[in-house]
Amino acid sequence: MRAVIAEDHALIREGLIRILESERLSIVGVAGTPQALLDLVALETPDLVITDIRMPPTFNDEGLVAALQIRRTRPSTAVLVLSQFVHQQYALELLENDPAGVGYLLKQRVGDLATFRADVERICAGGTVIDPEVVSAMLARAERGKGLGRLTPRQREVLEHMAAGRSNGSIAQQLFITEKAVVQHVSGIYDTLGLPVSPDDHRRVLAVLRYLQG
Amino acid sequence: MQPLPRSRASRPLDLALWQLACAMAVLVVIECVLLADNTSVPYAYLLGFPLIGVVYLSAGLVAWRRRPGNRMGALMVWGGLVYLLVGLANVQVPGLIALGQLVASVPLALIVHLLLAFPSGRLRSRTARLVVIIGYLICTVLQLPGEMFTAQDPPFDVWFVADRPELAMLASRVQLIIGVVVMVATAAILVRRLRVATGPQRRVLIPLAVYGIVAVLMLPVGGSLLRSLGVAVLTTVLIQMAILAGVPIAFALSVLRGGFARTGELDDLAAWLSSGAPDRPRLAGAVGQALGDPTVTVGYPVDGVVVDAGGRPVVPQPGDRGQVDIDLEGRRIATIFYDAELITDAEHVAQAGRLIALQLDRERLTAELLAGREELHRSRLRVVEEADRERRRIAQDLHDGIQAQLVVLALVAGRLAADEGSDASALREHAGDLRRELDRTAADLRRLVHGLMPAILVERGLYAAARGFVDALPVPTELSLTGSDDGLPDVVETTAYFVLAEALTNAVKYARASTLSVALERTTDRLRIVVSDDGVGGAPAERGGLRGLDDRVRVLGGRLVVDSPPGAGTRVWAEISCAP
Repeated sequence: MRAVIAEDHALIREGLIRILESERLSIVGVAGTPQALLDLVALETPDLVITDIRMPPTFNDEGLVAALQIRRTRPSTAVLVLSQFVHQQYALELLENDPAGVGYLLKQRVGDLATFRADVERICAGGTVIDPEVVSAMLARAERGKGLGRLTPRQREVLEHMAAGRSNGSIAQQLFITEKAVVQHVSGIYDTLGLPVSPDDHRRVLAVLRYLQG
Repeated sequence: MQPLPRSRASRPLDLALWQLACAMAVLVVIECVLLADNTSVPYAYLLGFPLIGVVYLSAGLVAWRRRPGNRMGALMVWGGLVYLLVGLANVQVPGLIALGQLVASVPLALIVHLLLAFPSGRLRSRTARLVVIIGYLICTVLQLPGEMFTAQDPPFDVWFVADRPELAMLASRVQLIIGVVVMVATAAILVRRLRVATGPQRRVLIPLAVYGIVAVLMLPVGGSLLRSLGVAVLTTVLIQMAILAGVPIAFALSVLRGGFARTGELDDLAAWLSSGAPDRPRLAGAVGQALGDPTVTVGYPVDGVVVDAGGRPVVPQPGDRGQVDIDLEGRRIATIFYDAELITDAEHVAQAGRLIALQLDRERLTAELLAGREELHRSRLRVVEEADRERRRIAQDLHDGIQAQLVVLALVAGRLAADEGSDASALREHAGDLRRELDRTAADLRRLVHGLMPAILVERGLYAAARGFVDALPVPTELSLTGSDDGLPDVVETTAYFVLAEALTNAVKYARASTLSVALERTTDRLRIVVSDDGVGGAPAERGGLRGLDDRVRVLGGRLVVDSPPGAGTRVWAEISCAP
């Protein structure tokens, strides 16, 4: 796997390289601006792009714009967006077209090396990773507006993991239950909330997030 | 202040007063001639009553001329007439004697009348009117039995019916008792007035009231009192006369208090206006001088507040204040405040106001400018203070939260570094705990920074930030975004965001609303923010940070209005200029 990193803060950039580089993942380039990132992607055609949102020269949302553009022009490139703050609007925009191979996390998450590395691997494998802060905010709101209280506590837990982009297998692992039990909970959730059935795990994230937001 | 010049227009009054003075003088001369026929009493004594009458007349005419709008002058002229009538009791013509005897005690009622009518010359309350009427009645009707039932030598027996001293005594007793009641009532009314009077008013009212009451008491009681002290009859009478003569002088001086030189009424105000003198005193001063009320002030309506000529808010004055609103072309331009004790006729004040309406309007414009400057100054101060408070709050938050957490974390990390005994897995576990603590601290910092300036506002602008804020609200909220937020100046975006955030936060906290709605509407040069809810209403305009935001909005050339009728929801409306 070949990855490029766009991050204007040199220390964070170095730190990311140090924790991510392994036999399976090599960092082939770094960029400090969105334009440099786009140029680098065109040149290197990496498998994974890790980018900050706020970057020079304008420090607006150009990192996110670049990520969306990369997803449009090269859908096979996995993208992980890191930021000091997370917003549900950004999450939905990132997932909108094709949630496969998309991640959106708080920068702070890099400190938990094991989880972060696992998240990167899931994204590279075509999975979806949404920051727990986004998910919990959306759940909290949906709870007040949509009556998530009809779910059992276990179902609610499973829903949270679904919204964060986990597959049934991954959820089973997290909750120490069998995958079969997860499937049962998921179908229970679908019945209770009246969610449309999704063809795959990635579509499922989008459906869940849209439901929570909507 | 320079006295106002006397106008030509006041000459007809002067003429009328001169004619009145001449007529009265003729009456005085006639009476003095008639009194010369009385040989039973020394002529000098007989002249006492007409003399007091002359003092009354003179004081009254002077007051009337200088204060045409005040009735005290006329009242004192009436008093002069009363004394001339009283004096008639000593002439030798039976009809005139009858008249004189009838009114012999009326000077007492007159003093009561003067006391209660002061300072305007009018009796303002029904009680006062009643007391004065009773006073005049007992001094006339109850005076007659004494003449009717007491034997006298002719020609003074004009009223005589029968020699019944017990009836005369009875009438005299009744007269005395009711008279005492009238005096007590008078004193009570005066005391009540004194209690609401201002300091300067009291300084005039108290000596006058004391003098008036003493003068009344001197007539029936003073004579016997002085005689019992061994004072000669002649001296006693002279002292009584002097005290009575002093009454009109005291009242005239009180009416003319406060440098009451030759000033006029409205005509003089007009003359003053047309003079265009460069050192014109302020309008309020001129109006006050014209109306004879030094306490007159003028207020101008500016932005719903009444301010003085200097643009400062008008503070209500103590005492019985009257006010007259002055309109020009259907607009309220000014309000004149005056002493309602002194001026009873509001129409008089209104006339003065109408006369100088144009000048008032001009002074109002100046006041408006000055008030604007004053308000600008205050709002700048508030903006600075608000920024200061904000800094303090942030410093306090950092100090209590993140700084303290970092100290703890440094301690934990230090212990970890110095740890030599533990094995690798224990160290890893401690390091993991440390990381989780750091995550918590980072989350606190994130919340703080988000409160200061939300990232989405910086990255995506106002509309996205509004959407983000609304998304996070616990109450269903309708969001309407009209136009585009492209190219809005940062300061406008930030202000608009915080207005919206503050209004929504207040709605969630206090309104008990079931739905909220937010509308942002951008036109080429204005940004309008409307936040409304269907809650309980009755929100104070100053609630929360809205006051500080109001100042920010004003600085940006905008307005912020909070409309929150009880029970009908709250609507916060702001408009900010955002012309490029």
